[in-house]
Amino acid sequence: MRKPILLAAAAIALTAVAAPAQQNSTAAASKAPNPASVHPDFSGIWAFSIALPAPVLKRVENGSTSYAQVDLSGRMPARTEVPGALPSAAKPSYKPEHQAKVKYLFDHEAKLDKVFFCGKPGVPRIGSPRQIIQLPNEFVFLYEDISGDPYRIVHMDGRKHDPNAEPTYYGDSIGHWEGNTLVVDSTNFVDDTWFGEDGYFHSPAMHVYERFWKVGDNLAYQITVDDPTVLTEPWTQAPRMVKPSTEPLLESPVCVEDDAHRMDNLDHHLQR
Amino acid sequence: MKYKFSTILALGTILLAAGTARAHHSPSSIFDMTKKFVLSGTLTQVEWVNPHIAIYIDAKKADGSGVENWKFESAPPAFLRRVGVNSGDFKKAIGTTVTVEGNRARDGSPYGFLQKITFSDGNSLAMVSPNEVNDGGAAK
Repeated sequence: MRKPILLAAAAIALTAVAAPAQQNSTAAASKAPNPASVHPDFSGIWAFSIALPAPVLKRVENGSTSYAQVDLSGRMPARTEVPGALPSAAKPSYKPEHQAKVKYLFDHEAKLDKVFFCGKPGVPRIGSPRQIIQLPNEFVFLYEDISGDPYRIVHMDGRKHDPNAEPTYYGDSIGHWEGNTLVVDSTNFVDDTWFGEDGYFHSPAMHVYERFWKVGDNLAYQITVDDPTVLTEPWTQAPRMVKPSTEPLLESPVCVEDDAHRMDNLDHHLQR
Repeated sequence: MKYKFSTILALGTILLAAGTARAHHSPSSIFDMTKKFVLSGTLTQVEWVNPHIAIYIDAKKADGSGVENWKFESAPPAFLRRVGVNSGDFKKAIGTTVTVEGNRARDGSPYGFLQKITFSDGNSLAMVSPNEVNDGGAAK
């Protein structure tokens, strides 16, 4: 693991930064934080968009024409190289006895994926937070999602997972720092979500690790799913990176999807 | 790059995706995306809902035997919000005559996929290919 190395490197780097400050300004030095307590600040609003071509809205109003397009630059493509990322794999490795089920779910996802029909995506499908509030002993993650606009509390006070917690879609989350990387460790999930749109079902034993770190002003994010009941090994996904945003969160309109009975094929569009 | 119109609209449906892999059924699973049709009638209702908004139109039946209420679904509200369209753009036209262009459901019901709406004052909203912008539109 890279934890001790990162911690040492962070301490050295912070000491190096703090030293000139002490020379330049005694007042500033007296206010300098203890390097051991310094962590990156993830607070703020983060963009959501996808790295795909956008449709364009053409508006004709009083004889003048304008075009508007969603800014898709906010999120880098999943396969873009992200500094600091763990090695990743394109797909999870299911045990042989579960592979047929994954294929069936994938082939029929247009009808079987509850997220298509306003279901809660759960962790990790919810993605990275739209807004992060960083407090001394917890993080608050806020999301915009058509299934509702969930929030998560990530406890940073050293507590363990609650053995009596009821299973939920967003799980029981505790976090810790590994150097400048925030690692969110979540478990206690309901078992009717998928951890990926390709029919990636899981058992109640699923454990999800989300890593967050800064790359410049951007927020890098990477997921590892561990479920020894159905997987042969933990699956670390390709990292993603989101840009800061000034677009405020808004309540998502209610979700009403009732056209499944009209589908006469299983076409759906994928996003990677 | 060239994008098929149906692909463009399909992409609109997933713009609400909250940051990780997410998908939805394609319009082509319900609508005949190879054929467009045009319909005029009275806008009766606007539903600003996920995963795609819907509008309702009373239109005369083709055989002249009366009026039927059509439903048209369109882009997700999260997409429309980001391109500067809100429910008021549609709701202000309730009770007036509108003309819509879109694709009809293959099951033959009065159900369609909205690609363009023209209001009685001549103003319009449409989903178009990025190529149209590149071909001389004033993109912003």
